[in-house]
Amino acid sequence: MKEKMPLMSTTPVPSPSAAIAADANREGPSATRDDGLGPEPDALQDANAVASAGAPVAEPDAGSTPKMRAREVSVSYGDKQALNKVSIDIHDDRVTAFIGPSGCGKSTFLRCLNRMNDTIPTARVTGRIELDGEDIHSSAMDVVQLRARVGMVFQKPNPFPKSIFENVAYGPRIHGLGSSKAELEQIVEKSLKRAGLWDEVKDRLNESGTALSGGQQQRLCIARAIAVDPEVILMDEPCSALDPIATAKIEELIHELRGRYAIAIVTHNMQQAARVSQRTAFFHLGELIEYGKTSEIFTNPRQQRTQDYITGRYG
Amino acid sequence: MSSPVQTLPGRTADARLRKRYAAERRFRLAGLFAVALSAAFLAFLLVTMAWKGLSGFTHFEAAVTIDFPRSDLILDPAALKGPDAQDTVAGADLQSVLMQSAGAAYGDDAAELFGSAAARSLGRQLIADPDLLNRRATIWLPVGSAIDIAAKQDSDPASERLVARLEAKDSLRRTVNMDFLTQSDATDPSAVGVWGALKGSFLTIVVTILLAFPIGVLAAVYLEEFATRNRWTDAIEVSINNLAAVPSIIFGLLGLAVFLNFMHLPRSAPLVGGLTLALMTMPVIVIAGRNAIKSVPPSIRDAALGVGASKMQVVFHHVLPLALPGILTGTIIGMARALGETAPLLMIGMRAFIAAPPTGITDPATVLPVQIFLWSDEVDRGFVEKTSAAIIVLLLFMLLMNGLAIYLRNRFERRW
Repeated sequence: MKEKMPLMSTTPVPSPSAAIAADANREGPSATRDDGLGPEPDALQDANAVASAGAPVAEPDAGSTPKMRAREVSVSYGDKQALNKVSIDIHDDRVTAFIGPSGCGKSTFLRCLNRMNDTIPTARVTGRIELDGEDIHSSAMDVVQLRARVGMVFQKPNPFPKSIFENVAYGPRIHGLGSSKAELEQIVEKSLKRAGLWDEVKDRLNESGTALSGGQQQRLCIARAIAVDPEVILMDEPCSALDPIATAKIEELIHELRGRYAIAIVTHNMQQAARVSQRTAFFHLGELIEYGKTSEIFTNPRQQRTQDYITGRYG
Repeated sequence: MSSPVQTLPGRTADARLRKRYAAERRFRLAGLFAVALSAAFLAFLLVTMAWKGLSGFTHFEAAVTIDFPRSDLILDPAALKGPDAQDTVAGADLQSVLMQSAGAAYGDDAAELFGSAAARSLGRQLIADPDLLNRRATIWLPVGSAIDIAAKQDSDPASERLVARLEAKDSLRRTVNMDFLTQSDATDPSAVGVWGALKGSFLTIVVTILLAFPIGVLAAVYLEEFATRNRWTDAIEVSINNLAAVPSIIFGLLGLAVFLNFMHLPRSAPLVGGLTLALMTMPVIVIAGRNAIKSVPPSIRDAALGVGASKMQVVFHHVLPLALPGILTGTIIGMARALGETAPLLMIGMRAFIAAPPTGITDPATVLPVQIFLWSDEVDRGFVEKTSAAIIVLLLFMLLMNGLAIYLRNRFERRW
């Protein structure tokens, strides 16, 4: 993906690092980059200056109340700034996709939304993130409760090395959702059905979750996230480890889950973003470059860099 | 698809290929040699041990006819049925009765035929059957150490002659020496046993496990999962790594200074031995535990955190169960080391001569390796095979523990 050559242009743009270096050239030759993975503060300032012309649109549709609202969220790992003043709203009834090249901060931003970055000791998050108008960093908001309300599906399928039943039942059990065995069974069945896995596993609920195929494991992880009845589901490149058929199943599942949960999905795959999402945010070097309706981003982007990315000139 | 090798001139490529295979063959031969050498050493150790030690599990018994009513023995058959039977028998002078009877049966030079093991055995038989006291009976009793050696291998001419005489009369037989497994230390090598030391080892290791395992695992969990990384935790980490490499005798001195001189705990007791060995084993468990916890994939932690598990739930529901096989392996290695440890226990007085098996962790006791050390120091020839036999018992004990470790590890091992 990264070394993809330009398809639509005769101007040679050899590699993402070269493109970025060109941008950073004004800072002098000392502004060298590692590989475009880690934005340097200098380059960020620079990129900011370019982006500020059409400052990121946080609210592409002022009509409905957003489920989650992020304002000027910045993240740094040690001295390294990974995310710079990102403001995005995530709505209830639609899928929001985050796209961008590797290291652009899209996963970092996603992990801010349920405070998974808290687990990284060097990570520092500033800015305000609200869930239903409540600040998720406030002392009134318990992080464990937050994660129950904002579930997460990870890049690599990561079922617990326990039975399929236990995988799904674990969340409800620790949150005291199913007091009896029958109730738990009900929750497990409902979750597996919603994740489209029930028919495949109903006869072997006691087998290990790790014995399933990759796609099934990922749907099991989705079922596990659903089981605690979250309001928002965050998906961090959920299909990157899956084959096309399993990917298609997950995408279909995302369609079905839309409306019931607010969904935010990070993806490397632009076609996937176009297929599953209604809103798309394009990140680059820790900046939110453009945020809008998916159809507009892909057909009529306002920013040059968005255009370059979606036409495959870098990324 | 053409590989670069094929594009090279044929001969050079062939020569290089041959050299590569030759190097590989040499390396495999060297490896095979190393394995064969270590196997040979192990076989040598086991064979010598078995050769010298297995005879320690058998002993010779001689038949002797004792006319109890006519002997000097003053024993009330009724007293032998009471609860004080042991004391009554111990108070009777069985040894001199045996000397008289043996002398009468096999000549004056046979007076020393029986040792304290025979007297003990006779006492047991009298308790089992007090009626013996009323008649003349022929009884098989274990012979003394000198005769036992003479019957098993070359010895001094006098003992050899006595053995020949006994054999001629069909009054000598070889039996399994149950006393060796059921009795404790003694001054007479024919009467010694490993039971006391085995029990001491067991009690000591139980104290060690009960202390070192929970404390070590909790320390590992805290350091790995909860502690913030700063200068203090770095210092603690370095100290723990150093402690694991400290010679065991130092821990013995520490145990002596702290547990005996300062805390005044009983000397020679499994309690103190266990405490000292726990100090020695803890760093090993902490290090093994931390490595096992570190090797649990972060995706499992993320998964549990993602459904809203608290830090502690993540650790106790997911991380610890997955790390358990590794922790157990480290623990068992530490325990095996503690089980075979001699030096620190010498310092806290577990080298004393203790003839009674301990009944609790505060009784004076010794442990198997120390017992082996003590016996190997004895001058009496009878202790040589006892030493080897005790080594076999220790090795079997170790084998049992390692087998348990492998079983537990396989039991808890899971795939992810």
